[in-house]
Amino acid sequence: MAADNGKTLEEIMNELEECVAKLESSDISLEDSFREYEAGMKLVKECNDRIDGIEKKVQLLEKDGSVSILDEGTEE
Amino acid sequence: MQSVYTVAQVNSYIKNMFTQDYLLQAVSVKGEISNCKYHSSGHIYFTLKDKLSVISCVMFAGNRKGLSFNLQEGMQVVVSGRVDTYERDGKYQLYATHIKKDGFGELYERFLQLKQELEERGLFAAEYKQPIPKYVKTIGVVTAATGAAIRDIISVSKGRNPFVQIVLYPAQVQGIGAAHSVAEGIRALEQFGVDVIIVGRGGGSLEDLWAFNEEEVAQAIFDCKVPTISAVGHETDVTIADYVADRRAETPTAAAQMATFDVATYIHDISLLQDRLSALMEHKVDLAKMSVRNASMLLMNRSPKSMIADRRYATMQAEERLSHAMADSLTRSKNKLALLAGSLNGVSPLEKLSQGYSYTENADGKGISDVTNVAIEDIIKVHVKNGAITAKVKDVVKIERQ
Repeated sequence: MAADNGKTLEEIMNELEECVAKLESSDISLEDSFREYEAGMKLVKECNDRIDGIEKKVQLLEKDGSVSILDEGTEE
Repeated sequence: MQSVYTVAQVNSYIKNMFTQDYLLQAVSVKGEISNCKYHSSGHIYFTLKDKLSVISCVMFAGNRKGLSFNLQEGMQVVVSGRVDTYERDGKYQLYATHIKKDGFGELYERFLQLKQELEERGLFAAEYKQPIPKYVKTIGVVTAATGAAIRDIISVSKGRNPFVQIVLYPAQVQGIGAAHSVAEGIRALEQFGVDVIIVGRGGGSLEDLWAFNEEEVAQAIFDCKVPTISAVGHETDVTIADYVADRRAETPTAAAQMATFDVATYIHDISLLQDRLSALMEHKVDLAKMSVRNASMLLMNRSPKSMIADRRYATMQAEERLSHAMADSLTRSKNKLALLAGSLNGVSPLEKLSQGYSYTENADGKGISDVTNVAIEDIIKVHVKNGAITAKVKDVVKIERQ
């Protein structure tokens, strides 16, 4: 499913890898290098932001469409 | 007084008992085929037997659509129909309307049939397989709310990525209505909006897993726009759902591994990429600095200051060469002079004087070598070896010497 700003995390990772590849190429100008670097750093930040660091509870989706939290304690 | 009846009356009475019996009018009997005869009329006559007993059976031509295979001796079958009497012979027999292969064989037959049918319809085609997204935030799970499958999925997913959201649709995974419940779950999770759906259950018998061999589940998986992973039973159990799903996991644990990315690896990868970006940028800047240094050195080499220094050096060199050349030339001249002086010595007039000759000059200091150079009474000077004599000319005589 498409994420927050329309790009999936996978797409962002790919862009980041492209950025690195461009910087690795020898025929890029210094100006372009700075642009790629800046773009790359933004992508890194985006990647880190996508991990919200919040542990999730398992949700239960019922037939009627209602959602509740699964009590994992009783599962063990 | 007991009544006496005709044979026909008794048989008719018995037939009536049979037809009024609810159970006998719709019964399924399992057993082994024997004495099977395909009659030219289209009816099939055979005997169904087990270890203890036998029963005569007939399937009329009109019911042949209830049989999808050829009956053979020794085959284990389930015959459905009614038990009725044949009044004329006083016999009862099983009038078959449906005959199916028994137990595992029958289920497996259905499995193969549906598999072939769905394959022909293209439900397993590779071109419809969707890739499982690499970075999944929300996982939908269709399985029983209790049981090993969901526990394994939760523990493996959370272990790899505690930030992933699991949405469980608690489905009935076996028994009547299971297929519908599973299909409903798939549709509900697709509607709810998840990144990937795991459909499955833990291990069980073929009958237990049967819901995952039903067409309704297969169609729901095929229609689902969210990528699906099937995870039914153990490695060795392959169901129709496995063929239709975008990916097949051998177990629910494996499905959770496929669906969840390892967050620690991910964070590590990101930081590696970040380091790489910085290192590359630093390198680029270093390279740029170096080329600036090189250029400035080239420029300095071409500056007027350096040109003047060059010229000055060239001048100094020329000067040095000039003075060397001058000195050489002088030395050569001196040597030549000495040489000439030596050879001149041989022709010196003084040498002649020392041999007794003399040299005469007039008052003006001019040499006298001819009698016509002097006149009587001229004062002349005669040079000899060790001095000079001044004399007055007394006489001049011309002498022919040769």
